[in-house]
Amino acid sequence: MGLLQGASELFPVSSLGHAVIVPSLLHWSFKQSDPSFVPFLVLLHLGTATALLVLYRDQWVVIIRGFFTAAIRGQIRNDAERLAMLLLVGTIPAAILGVFLEHRIKSLFASPYVAAGFLVVNGFLMLGFEFTRRRAERGVSREEQESHFAQAERISFVAAAIVGACQALAFLPGISRSGVTIGGGLLAGLRHQEAARFSFLLATPVILGAGIVEVPGLFKSGVPIGEYIAAAVLSGIAAYASARFLLRYFRSGRLDPYGIYCIAAGLVSLALLEFGW
Amino acid sequence: MTKSNGLAVGLGVLGVVFLVIAALYAVGLLQILTSENSGPHYKHAVLFAVLAVASFVAANFARPKTAV
Repeated sequence: MGLLQGASELFPVSSLGHAVIVPSLLHWSFKQSDPSFVPFLVLLHLGTATALLVLYRDQWVVIIRGFFTAAIRGQIRNDAERLAMLLLVGTIPAAILGVFLEHRIKSLFASPYVAAGFLVVNGFLMLGFEFTRRRAERGVSREEQESHFAQAERISFVAAAIVGACQALAFLPGISRSGVTIGGGLLAGLRHQEAARFSFLLATPVILGAGIVEVPGLFKSGVPIGEYIAAAVLSGIAAYASARFLLRYFRSGRLDPYGIYCIAAGLVSLALLEFGW
Repeated sequence: MTKSNGLAVGLGVLGVVFLVIAALYAVGLLQILTSENSGPHYKHAVLFAVLAVASFVAANFARPKTAV
């Protein structure tokens, strides 16, 4: 589960969808109603967030410094300060929707059938993002295409807020947080690699914050903390490797293969669930 | 961003309101829009603390700057 969560959290294929579908198909004994399930997820998310913090450690130092400098001065004077404010603006809608809606939405849709259905929807969303982007680029070579698009620091504040709010779609099991934020970044005019970087930077405070506020639950009796920490470490390693791979992949790669994978995986899962696998 | 003292004061007041709400959630006196109806709600408290910080930052950005 640690490896699965860590890898699928950053790939645009929905970690929540996989966390609902895979245990059900493989008959693993994970029950979301189990009191130790939330602490388990908390530790996995902390593992992923730690991996992202390690990956972007230098950038986070600059971003945090830029945030305090710009906040105290009341003015943005460089790219690091602008990126810090963009991340704040992008994080707020996701945090509001997360606190007030996440529990309700997840409990409404926590079924393998629904997750498989939304995985198919996620696939079409990924293809849709790329279709829209490709139409805007027609007749231009691949290298030229990317050079015409912007860096994360150049995204508008309104676009950052919309991309941030899109993270709430990922409360639906099967819809990928990184997928919708990378797609949103593409629609806002970012390069693929920059859209992925903005998505990962945007995800870090949300994942870390959601994990930290649940930490007291880890100290309840009956939580096998050693096993959970081992899973969290595996989750972190998988997330780090996934992020490195994706950043390299998006230099020239696109979202299409993940869209096709999601559609195929969703349809196969629906068939397996229907025929009592 | 539009610069005006009125907007800056308004955002500052909003920040104070968010801070009070955060404190009320943290001590368990506020139970609105929560899934459990008793005890402190740290997730809500952290959210409103973040909103307070964002409001104070926005207030500082909205404040007209004097030329040096």
